[in-house]
Amino acid sequence: MKRRLFLAAGAAALAGCAKVTNGLNDSAGVHAVLDAVERLDYAAIGTRGRAKLYRAADVDRDFRTNGFDTPSDSLYDGLVKDGFARYELAVSGEVEHPQAFTLRELRALASLTQITRHDCVEGWSAIGQWGGVPLGAFLRLVRPTPKARYVVFRCFDRSPDGDPYYESLDLGQAAHPQTLLALDLNGKPLDPDHGAPVRLRVPTQLGYKSAKWVRRIELAAELGGLYGGNGGYWEDQGYEWYAGI
Amino acid sequence: MDAIAGKSGARAAQEARRRPLVERHSVLTRVTHWAGTLAFVVLVMSGLQIFNAAPYLDASDKSDPHHRVLAISGVTDAAGRPAGVTQILGLRLTTTGWLGYTDDGQGGRSERAFPGWITFPGYQDLAGGRRWHLFFAWVMVLAGGAYLLGGALNRDLSLLVLRPADVPKLLPMQLYYLRLRREPPPYGKYNPLQKAAYTLVLFVFAPLIVASGLALSPGVDAFAGPLTALFGGRQFARLWHFVFMLALLGFLGVHLLLVASTGAFNNMRSMITGRYRPGKHEGQGP
Repeated sequence: MKRRLFLAAGAAALAGCAKVTNGLNDSAGVHAVLDAVERLDYAAIGTRGRAKLYRAADVDRDFRTNGFDTPSDSLYDGLVKDGFARYELAVSGEVEHPQAFTLRELRALASLTQITRHDCVEGWSAIGQWGGVPLGAFLRLVRPTPKARYVVFRCFDRSPDGDPYYESLDLGQAAHPQTLLALDLNGKPLDPDHGAPVRLRVPTQLGYKSAKWVRRIELAAELGGLYGGNGGYWEDQGYEWYAGI
Repeated sequence: MDAIAGKSGARAAQEARRRPLVERHSVLTRVTHWAGTLAFVVLVMSGLQIFNAAPYLDASDKSDPHHRVLAISGVTDAAGRPAGVTQILGLRLTTTGWLGYTDDGQGGRSERAFPGWITFPGYQDLAGGRRWHLFFAWVMVLAGGAYLLGGALNRDLSLLVLRPADVPKLLPMQLYYLRLRREPPPYGKYNPLQKAAYTLVLFVFAPLIVASGLALSPGVDAFAGPLTALFGGRQFARLWHFVFMLALLGFLGVHLLLVASTGAFNNMRSMITGRYRPGKHEGQGP
């Protein structure tokens, strides 16, 4: 009897522990303070340096997939059916030359192949060889206006709740020489599960910044007006916009 | 120290009262001690929350099941019930209720590595756990940095650092603690074992846990690649970060035990008000 009472008291104390931490985590005021260090982290780390380059032998042949299910709506399925021949990557917003690029045009611009590590926010890492168009060079073709500060990527995939995936980088991150509009993984065109036909690769930040299934690109002066206002799908769920740490 | 010396009873208490209170810990030491304590608790709990998102540790750069050192998972047992399994270096343990299938932090149970009562927050929330962890990492680094800088300036730190002359006193001090020796070797503000423990924590484990944490950051790795390589790669750094956490938890356990057993009131008073009544052996040597 005493033992049972003791166990019950212990369980209550432990449940109380979770109540306290849950309550603190649910407070918007507390998060306003916690989340302020994101700026400090970005200022301290920034976009300096280059992600480590690996050898071909390091590559994961069966590169891990994660995130939302591969899009399966009629629009995306239709594009898959004819090998993305009708896919166009439209660039709009704060640009002097709004344009749309076919996959063939993008392939003509592809100039970079790099073997880098993909670090997921969950904690795991995988290595892949990515080929495609350096985003900085790509943006020079469409010429961002002086008002442009962010590059927004709108994607084909949706969350289980139907919310569209989107991501954003600032112009400094976009201009990093390793930031890539990837078309190939491990020497082959991206397959649908890995983000075909175009995905982003940002090897200096966590994996959720490397949006798959990129549908459109917009240059923007602000991020506040988009969806949850935090610059990306996962950012709207509470993750950091600056994902270098 | 009197409790350890074994000289119990009224006479020892009388003797102790005759020794005057001294100023033991500066305001800086006390403030940074408690800020660091709070930060450490939140860092461990939020770190376990983050661990839960990928509940395994690999001794490799990229994730590699062939180099898996620890894995905690939820399974279905032979009777069809959910169970928790922990695998450490090939050893397979059933840990249902504790690890793998355990408290979900919301009054129920679910498949998760560490239980809700020890993670921050209690329920599974990687984004929230990261926010707490990254905030209190700054608190810890600033508190630790202020303590070290202040201690170096006011020379407090020099009384605490283990010196070559202290090394021969380590064994006699341990024997004294184990009651295998009547008198401790002569020592100053801190005894040789305290100096060894504090030196290890401040100058070995604290820098290592910060460095291994930074090595996990893809942004830091991009400009400080040798740091990540030093730990054997990113996943290995994650493993080291966990091991250093365990080492610091071990220190905390011993620390709490000794705080409680060497005059809990006197020790707590010294870290709150700064005032302390020295034991009879204290301050008799360097």
